[in-house]
Amino acid sequence: MNNTNRALNRLLIFFCGLLLLVVGAGAAAGVLVPAFRDWWKGATTGATVQVSTWLRQTPLGNTGVSWIMPAILLLLLIAVIVLIAFITRQGHGHTGVAVYERSSETGTTIIDSAVPEHAIQDALSRRPEFVTSHVSTYQVRRTPVLKVSVTCRRGVSPKDAATIIEDKLRALDELLGRQLPALIQISGGFRANLTKSTRLQ
Amino acid sequence: MISNRYHARITRRETHSPRSLLAIILAVILIIVFSWIGTEIVLALLGLRALLVAPVDMFTSAVNVVAEPTGAVAVVGIVVAVVGLILVVAAVSPGRRARHVLVTERAATVVDNEVIASALARHAAYAANVDPDSTTVSVSRRHAVVHLTPTSGVPVDRYEVADVAAKQLESYGLRRPVLARVQIDERGRVGA
Repeated sequence: MNNTNRALNRLLIFFCGLLLLVVGAGAAAGVLVPAFRDWWKGATTGATVQVSTWLRQTPLGNTGVSWIMPAILLLLLIAVIVLIAFITRQGHGHTGVAVYERSSETGTTIIDSAVPEHAIQDALSRRPEFVTSHVSTYQVRRTPVLKVSVTCRRGVSPKDAATIIEDKLRALDELLGRQLPALIQISGGFRANLTKSTRLQ
Repeated sequence: MISNRYHARITRRETHSPRSLLAIILAVILIIVFSWIGTEIVLALLGLRALLVAPVDMFTSAVNVVAEPTGAVAVVGIVVAVVGLILVVAAVSPGRRARHVLVTERAATVVDNEVIASALARHAAYAANVDPDSTTVSVSRRHAVVHLTPTSGVPVDRYEVADVAAKQLESYGLRRPVLARVQIDERGRVGA
């Protein structure tokens, strides 16, 4: 429901994995496969010379050091900032507005997301089928979507649970005069296992 | 239905793992490694002593890794490669959660497998005439396995239980059909 960028998550995992795979396999092959070792030695001798020439050819003023090092430092700093932004970007997506309608000439109608949340939660809290219920509103592709998550008592039919919640949602539709897209999440969980099982059929 | 296209997206996201935890762990490791390399570079530029390894030594030891003892490098290399492979698999595999999608009209509905299992267990126990505590059900993507320990001396009708389980599963309206399988313990339990 939240707007975590999942493709980005997978991309990061993929490239980290690929890097480790290549480095690890390369190191193992370097010591185990003689042909690869010879090639590696030849290639790295050239590379070492190349790198030291670069370092000599790129002086930073007359300090005696190359500007490549500070440049790498800057790149590392940027990478760290990007990664921190990546971490803080996870999750999110809650919204405080359920309906925003600039319908009439006289003004705009805004329904706070607390209205449907409290209405549904209040209706569900009286039902014996559920141990707990929680309603929240997320923004999915610029549209508010209700998320109704309930923890069922042991043995409650998921269909019955879904039907109960759908009835409440339909009642809410009547109240608001429009349909909000909704997700029902029915879970068992640890608390459900501790409570006594249902006596409903 | 106006909301169907949202529902498709939501159910897909709710039944698959976002891989957030793994991505965050990797990002934190990368931040630590990058900060450390950065610190080493600053120390080297100031001409101070390195914390662990100076940048020049990092480069030369990476280049000369083939000259190190074969066994150690091979083992470390293979372990690193396996970790890499696991990450690649985690990145491309679907990462399904233990959830099923119910076919409902008004909303998109996802149900944890354990809820289906516990509802099924109740009906299976009733049909088999055994104690609910002697019934365990595990639900996976395609199968529901009902495992019963009968009460000693009271026979259990396997077909009756299978029938009830199948009917129950059908009544839940799961988008992906689940097949019920009944296992009955050969040895009963006394006084259960």
